[in-house]
Amino acid sequence: MSWKNIKLIFLREVRDQLRDRRTLFMVAVLPLLLYPALGIGMVQMTVTFEEQTRSVVVLGVDEIPSPNLIDGTKFRSDLFKDPGGADKLRVISDATGNLEEHEIEEELRQEFTQFLESLRANEKKLQRLAVLERDFRRDETYEQSDPELAELIKEQQALRKEAIALLADSPAEVVILFPAGFKQAYADLTNSIAGGTVTEEMLDHLPRPFIIHNSANERSEIAFSRASKALAAWEDEVLSDRLSHANLPVAFTDAIPITDIDLAEADEIAANVWSKIFPALLVIMSVTGAFYPAIDLGAGEKERGTMETLLISPATRAEIVFGKFLTVMLFSISTALLNLASMGFTGKHMLTAVSQGAATPLGDLSFPPLLSLLWVVLLAIPLSALFSALSLSLAMFAKSSKEGQYYLTPLLMVTMGLTMFCLNPSIELTPYYSVLPVVGPALLLKSLLLEGATSSSVVTYVLPVLITSITYSGIALWWAIDQFQSEGILFREAERFDLGLWFRHLLRDKEETPSFSEATVCFVLIAMLQFLFLTSMQSSPEALNGPVRMVQVQLIYLIATVGVPPVLMGLLLTTNLWKTLKLHLPNWKYLVAACLLPLSLQPLTLELMSALDPFFPPLPPGAEQMMQAMATDTVPLWLTLATFALAPAVCEELAFRGFILSGLQRSKREWLPIIISAMLFGVIHMIPKQQFNAALLGMVLGLLAVRSQSLWPGVVFHFVFNGVQVLAARLTPESLTEGPAQYVFRVGESGTIESVSFQPAFLVACAVVSAGLLYWLFNSGKTSEHLDSKSNLNGSFAAE
Amino acid sequence: MIRVQDLTKEFFDLKRGPVAALNEVSFEVKPGEIFGLLGPNGAGKTTCLRILSTVLKPTSGLALVAGFDVARSPESVRANIGFMSGNTGIYDRMTAWEMVEYYGRLYGIEEEQLQNRLHEIFDQLQMNEIRDLLGSKMSTGMKQKVSIARTIVHDPPVLIFDEPTSGLDVLVARAVLEAVDSLRDAGKCIIFSTHIMREVEKLCDRVAIIHKGEILDVGTVDELIQKYVQPDIEEVFFHLIGSRDPLMNAI
Repeated sequence: MSWKNIKLIFLREVRDQLRDRRTLFMVAVLPLLLYPALGIGMVQMTVTFEEQTRSVVVLGVDEIPSPNLIDGTKFRSDLFKDPGGADKLRVISDATGNLEEHEIEEELRQEFTQFLESLRANEKKLQRLAVLERDFRRDETYEQSDPELAELIKEQQALRKEAIALLADSPAEVVILFPAGFKQAYADLTNSIAGGTVTEEMLDHLPRPFIIHNSANERSEIAFSRASKALAAWEDEVLSDRLSHANLPVAFTDAIPITDIDLAEADEIAANVWSKIFPALLVIMSVTGAFYPAIDLGAGEKERGTMETLLISPATRAEIVFGKFLTVMLFSISTALLNLASMGFTGKHMLTAVSQGAATPLGDLSFPPLLSLLWVVLLAIPLSALFSALSLSLAMFAKSSKEGQYYLTPLLMVTMGLTMFCLNPSIELTPYYSVLPVVGPALLLKSLLLEGATSSSVVTYVLPVLITSITYSGIALWWAIDQFQSEGILFREAERFDLGLWFRHLLRDKEETPSFSEATVCFVLIAMLQFLFLTSMQSSPEALNGPVRMVQVQLIYLIATVGVPPVLMGLLLTTNLWKTLKLHLPNWKYLVAACLLPLSLQPLTLELMSALDPFFPPLPPGAEQMMQAMATDTVPLWLTLATFALAPAVCEELAFRGFILSGLQRSKREWLPIIISAMLFGVIHMIPKQQFNAALLGMVLGLLAVRSQSLWPGVVFHFVFNGVQVLAARLTPESLTEGPAQYVFRVGESGTIESVSFQPAFLVACAVVSAGLLYWLFNSGKTSEHLDSKSNLNGSFAAE
Repeated sequence: MIRVQDLTKEFFDLKRGPVAALNEVSFEVKPGEIFGLLGPNGAGKTTCLRILSTVLKPTSGLALVAGFDVARSPESVRANIGFMSGNTGIYDRMTAWEMVEYYGRLYGIEEEQLQNRLHEIFDQLQMNEIRDLLGSKMSTGMKQKVSIARTIVHDPPVLIFDEPTSGLDVLVARAVLEAVDSLRDAGKCIIFSTHIMREVEKLCDRVAIIHKGEILDVGTVDELIQKYVQPDIEEVFFHLIGSRDPLMNAI
C-alpha cells in the first residue's frame, strides 16, 4: 500500500466534498445555525406559550370548611407555588351567581348550567361510587367466588360506566364534590379532637369529599394535577387550624422531621447534564456525519460513472478504500465535534440568558474541564472510524445514492438504540460493556464527564475501550476493503427482484455445499428460532416445572432450534448433504485427538474462566437453575448426558461446523471461516461468559473440522468435553481427596465444591499435552488438499 | 503487447444460473496496430476489455498486457494501459486541468514532467479553453476530450477503448476517432471495441468478430470480406452471426 496514493485520493476526496455545497452545509453550517436557532425558538416558545384554562367543577361549595379554598371564580391564588397558577384553572361552583361571574361565552355558560344540573341529579350515585372505589381498588384482585362481593363489584362497574358517560361530553375536566353535611361533621370532629373525645367510629363516619378525573385524558390530567396541588396546600392549612384549635403545635404532625442535604455543587449538576447529552450527540452525529459523505464517495461515485475510472488507475483497491475512509472519517469527526461545540455554547449561553438573577437547578452549566474535553475528542476518533468504515461498506454495496439512503435507517436505529441504552442512569461501565462496540466508548465518555478523567473507573477502562474500539473499526474497514475487492458488488446492476425467481434459483442452481449467504441465513434462522422458543417459554413457566421437565425441554429446544435448521437447509439448498455436513469418516488419528484434546483442555478452560470470572456479569437466574438441574440427582444420568453432552455435540456441530462452516469455506480463505464460525458459535450462547468460552472452543472445533474434513472429530470432542462437565457437576468434594484424584484436585479449606481447584502440576501437564495436540493438529492437514469450491459471485455484472 | 489465450469469464445470473460472458477467447494485438472487437451488445466486449484492464478477474485463461499477467500483477498492467469507455466518467466537481493532473499524479509522474506533459496534451487536444471549467459545466464533447487526456496522460504503450464513441454526436465521434488514429501512428498498441461497422472499416487494422462470448473469426477487413465472399464487413458480420444463430437467418 502506498501512502502517496492514499494521500492523493484523500486530498482529492476532501476537496471534492468541500466543493459540494450540501456536504458543507450538513457538516459545518447546519450545526452552527441549528442549535442557536433551536435555542431562540425555544425561548420564543416559552415566552409565547400560554397554557389553556381548564375547568374544575366544584359541587357543595357551602360544605367546604374554612379557610377558603375558592376565591370567586378561581382557587385561592396563594395555594399555588407558581405565580399565575390559579389563573390556569377556572372553578365553576354551585355557589349562587358563580356562573355569572365567569367571563365565558354564553353557550359555554349554558353547557355548565346543564352539567351542574345533571351532576346534582346524579349526586347520590357518585357518592355511592366513591364509597365502592374506596373499598375495591382496581389494582387489587378480589375473590370472585363470594357472591356478595361479586355483586358489589358489578355495581361498582355499572356506576363507573354511568360516571364515564356523565363526564364524557362535559365541559369540565375535573369534578370535586363535597357531600352534604360535611362541614358540620368536620366541625364536630375538630371539636372532639380538641376535647380529646374522638373515637375511631367518628373518623369512619365522616363523609368524604371526592375528586373525579380521567388519567387517560391529557387535559383532565393537567387540571387534576394542578387542582390536587391546590387541595393539598389547602389541606395543610385546614390541618394547622385543627391543631391550633386543639392547642397543639403546628409541627405536631411532623413526627420525625428529616432535613435532606444535597451536596451536589453547581458544576457537578452541570457535569451530569453534559454526561447525558455529549455521548449521545457524539455517537449520533458521528453516524450522520459519516453517512452522507460515505454515500457520495461510494454509491455516488458508482452512479456518476467515475468509479471505474478510479479502478483502472494504478492505485490498489485497498489504497482507494483507505483514502475514501480517511475522508469520511474526517467529516464524521468534524460533524460530531462541531455539533458538540455549537450545542455546548448555545446551551450555556441560553441558560445564562434565561436564568439571569434567578438561581437555576442547573447552576451556570459550566463546561467540563479541558482534560475531559480532550478525551471527548480522543474518543470521537474510534467511534468515527467505526461508523465511517461501516457507512463506507454499505455505500459501496449500494448501486445508487438512493439505495444508499435506505441503509441509513437501520444503521441509525441500531445506533440510537445503543445510545438510549447508555443514557439510562443505572447503566454504568462494566468490564463486559467496555468491550462492546459503541456502548463502551459512550459509557466511558459518560463516566469521564461525570467523574472526571482521573476517576478510577475511567483509568481502568480506557485501554480496553480504546483497544476494542480500534479493533472493531479495523474489522469494519477490512470488510469495506473486502467489499471493494468483490466484482459482484462493484458491478452490481439494477435487476428486477423477483422472489419466486430467486426461490426457484435456490432450488434449481444448487451446488455441492452452501454459499456464504446461505450459511449466514442458517445462523440467523437458528438465532431467531432460539429467540422465539425462549420468549414462548417465558410466557409459560409451568413448562419448566421441576428439573426433569426442564432438562427435557432443553433437549427438545436444542434439537428443534439448532439441529433441525442445518439438516433441512442442507437437504433443500445443496446437492451434496454428505459433503455439506462433513459426514465422511475422518482419518482415525483425528478421532483419537478429539478424545484426548477435550480432557487436557477442560481443566485449562475451567481455570481460565474462573480467573476471568470478575470480568463477566453474573449468571442470570434461568442459567443458574439450568446448572442446578444439570447437577441434581433427581434427573437420570442418561437424560442429563443426552441433553447436555450428546445433543449439543450433534446439533451444534451439524450447524456450526457442518452447514455454516461449509458455507463460510467457500470464501477459499483458511482461517476466516474458522474464526467467523467460532464467533457465531459464541454469539448463540447468549450468556456472556459462555459466549467467550464457546468462541474459544469454537476455534479448536473449527480447526478440527477443517483439518480432518469431517464432522465426527468435532462431535467426539464436543461430547467428551460436555460429558466431563456433566459428570464433574455430580462430584462431591469428599471424593476428590482420595485415590488418584488427589493428584489432580486441590480442595480448599472450606471443603465446598466451589473451593476445588486443580493441582498446579496437573495444569502444567494439561497445558503441555494440549499444546502438543494443537500443534500436531495445526500442521497435520496442511499437505492434504482443501475443499475445492467454485468461486461464487453474489450478483451479476455487465455482460457485454 | 496484448496476448489473450483461452480467456473465460463466468458470471452468475438469477434467471439463467452461471453464464459464460466470455468463452475461451484468444487473440493478439501488436504495437502500432488498432485491433477492433466487433460485436452486438451483450457479446462480451466490455467483459473482455474489463478483464484486460484488471477491473474484473478472469475465471480461467491467460491475458498478458504489456508483458504483465492481469491476474498476477494487476498494478503493473494498470500502470501501462490507458483505458476509456462509456463507463469511465469524469468528476463533476473538478476542473479539466485538476482531473488530468490528479490521474497523472496517481500514475506517479514526476511533478515537473507532469506539468510539461499537461501543457503538451492540453495544446494537442485544444483543451486550453476548458482548462478551468468544472466537469459539471462541460458538454459531452468536452468531457470526452478530458477522458482522452486522462487516458494518455502517462503515455501508456497500450490503449483500450471500449465503445468510445457511443452516445456522441457525429462531430465529437469523429474527433475521438481521429485521436485514436493518431495514437496508432505514435506506435501504440490499441484495442478498440465497437458495434459500428463504419468505424471498423475506417480505423481497424485487424478485427475480431465476437458474438455470445466467442470470437467467430479474426483478420483484416479485406481478408474477412474475401474469405466469406461478402461485399462489406457488415455483411460478413451478419453472415457469421447468422450461421451461428438460426434465428437471425429467419429474420
